[in-house]
Amino acid sequence: MKKSHSRIMIASISVIIVMSALYFTFTEDIIAQQEDTVFVTHSGSVIKTTGEIIDPVYSTLLNPEYTESTVEFDPMEYLREFNYGKVSQLPDGTTLREFTIIAEDDKIMEVSPGVFFNVWTFNGTVPGPTIRATEGDIVRINFINNGSKPHTMHFHGIHPAEMDGVFEIVGQGGGRFTYEFEAGPVGVHPYHCHVMPVEEHIVRGMYGVYIVDPKEGRPAADEMVMVLNGFDTDFDTENNFYAANSIPFYYQNNPIQINTNELIRIYVVNMVEFDPINNLHLHANLFYYYPTGTSLVPSFYTDMITLSQTERGIMEFEYEYPGKYLFHAHKIEFSEKGWVGIFQVNDNPDQKSQLEIEYGT
Amino acid sequence: MELDNKSSKGKIILSGIIPFAFLVLLIAYIFGPGSDLLDLGVPLPEITMEKVDFVDSEIRVTVRNTGPIPVEIVMADINDRIQPAAIEPDRFLERYETALVRIPFAWNEAEPYRIGLTIEDGTRFEKEIEAAAPALEPSLELVGFFAIIGTYVGIIPVMIGLLWLPFIRKISKNKYHFFLALTAGLLLFLGIDSIEEALDVSEENLAGSFNGALLVATVVVLSFLGLYYSSEKLIRRAASSRIAKPTAIALMISIGIGLHNFGEGLAIGAAVGLGSIAFSTFLIVGFALHNTTEGIAIAAPMSRGKALIGKALIGKLAVLGLIAGSPAIFGAWVGGFVYSPFTSVIFLAVGAGAIFQVIITILRWIREEGDKNLSSAAVVSGFAAGMLVMYLTSILV
Ligand SMILES: [Cu+2]
Repeated sequence: MKKSHSRIMIASISVIIVMSALYFTFTEDIIAQQEDTVFVTHSGSVIKTTGEIIDPVYSTLLNPEYTESTVEFDPMEYLREFNYGKVSQLPDGTTLREFTIIAEDDKIMEVSPGVFFNVWTFNGTVPGPTIRATEGDIVRINFINNGSKPHTMHFHGIHPAEMDGVFEIVGQGGGRFTYEFEAGPVGVHPYHCHVMPVEEHIVRGMYGVYIVDPKEGRPAADEMVMVLNGFDTDFDTENNFYAANSIPFYYQNNPIQINTNELIRIYVVNMVEFDPINNLHLHANLFYYYPTGTSLVPSFYTDMITLSQTERGIMEFEYEYPGKYLFHAHKIEFSEKGWVGIFQVNDNPDQKSQLEIEYGT
Repeated sequence: MELDNKSSKGKIILSGIIPFAFLVLLIAYIFGPGSDLLDLGVPLPEITMEKVDFVDSEIRVTVRNTGPIPVEIVMADINDRIQPAAIEPDRFLERYETALVRIPFAWNEAEPYRIGLTIEDGTRFEKEIEAAAPALEPSLELVGFFAIIGTYVGIIPVMIGLLWLPFIRKISKNKYHFFLALTAGLLLFLGIDSIEEALDVSEENLAGSFNGALLVATVVVLSFLGLYYSSEKLIRRAASSRIAKPTAIALMISIGIGLHNFGEGLAIGAAVGLGSIAFSTFLIVGFALHNTTEGIAIAAPMSRGKALIGKALIGKLAVLGLIAGSPAIFGAWVGGFVYSPFTSVIFLAVGAGAIFQVIITILRWIREEGDKNLSSAAVVSGFAAGMLVMYLTSILV
């Protein structure tokens, strides 16, 4: 009796060992052979798969049957959205622009298709709203901190010390502060939270763009804002994603529509942290560049600018030929992690006839 | 009387069940009303890339969810640059579930690659491949190639070791004990070496949730116990049958060494499969040298067999050599064609347990054979010399 018992025990132990070894060896190979989805990569190779496609780079143009994952934040809307505030006149005739900005730090944002990251926000998005005023206006920001940590708003520009958003910490859970200053100087500036640790408050998303227009205005143009930013989703002080306006590869998959022979003006602000520099290269064209936008005379005519932290400027250009043109970081690592986009240049419906006449005579 | 007996039996059963019932309650509590107790920590997701295959213009990654919570794989990258990819069967992985990630990529042979996978919370996991090599496709040619290597590493060196038999037969008892202890020392080194290798593989390729070190320890002990039990059986039976006791011991040693050589074959096959060709040349030469000593281990007890001479002895030795050596061939096939780190760890650990069993068998043989003394100068110096020789060869090769 005893003997057979122990024999059974040993036999069953060895059976268990062998079975589990076999299980772990072969489960990997038990994958259905039926192939459904065809998927074409950017280099043109065709992959058939029974499974799913995981790809923020994925172009719906190459693969029309693949339904694109859409994130909640809409970079196309942000691109041309300017907030001028609630406008009123002060007794002396000065324009007053009032804004309400609410800080929160519990938002979960889909920063790339399928990647959900806890961002800290001004008015719920990264970047925060683009605040726009004319030189000499009074800007009044009613700031409410609904977050769980202290936050502030620190504007780049000229203002009194107590409006600098550094030492006047606004407490969590409904703390309030009113920032008020005269808009200036002319140009494009960032604003961001300045609570310690500042790096964390910035990389989590507490930044946005502040534009000061010259009193005489700038020539009419198709204007856009591009915040060059990144997300470090695994907290190793290296960005996992880069983008223009938060969502990697967005403008590559959804090209920005512009017209031939129309002035394009881009307010570009570099908010990338961790990496010392960022840059921007425009394809098949050159642009006039106004560093910080403070002068009305361009400093460069180039196709490439290099930007350090919070460095910014205004780009102006026109495309002569219709077609698709890339713009991207020429630090290719950044463009391969999302900081790349396309201008789709269409024939200008207004100027076409005019052009034909010019060429005809 | 009978009633009494019955009720006492019932009591025994009851007393066996009561603690068990409490145990069930204890477990039920933690899953039911007491589940708050478990909510203290934040469970961190974890995935493990168990296997990376380089096929035609594509890198294939077998990934397992080895963390405590389900995960969703949302992105793949090569060398930290985002790549489009497909995942089969789908991107949702329950605990311990595996998926195959297929990344189209024009990789270059022999170059290093870092493969990254990102999950839904943005955490990126990375696996480094030292040198890309095309995945081995089972072909008759390769089967033959592995068979030749297995023979070179396993069978031939063991046979060469067996050739020392006439020499061992002629030497004095003391010197004989020295040689037996020497083989025990050699084997102890191999056993420790296998455990180290098993721990390395589990450290590099198995997720923490497998408890690599404990897995190795458990399998080593189970393998040891299994062989120990069956060897006792065999030797006891040998005493009352036509198999001579030295032959029985030599057979057990051969089986133990065979299991160990299976692990060696596995390591060689895997090294070839993973493309580290230089590394596998090192392995092949190293194992061939080591394995010569295994032949001595088998020859030692056989040298005291009385009835065996001439052809019968040669036949028996050949069979023992095959038992000890040929598993290297099977190991190379498995390692080369169906490599999985988990099976590797298991087989290396089984091999280590087998080796320890062989050592015990040899030491008992010395004790029985000799004067019930394991601390004689011959034994101690033999054992020490065995360890030293192995250490030195491991440095030199
Ligand atoms: Cu803040």
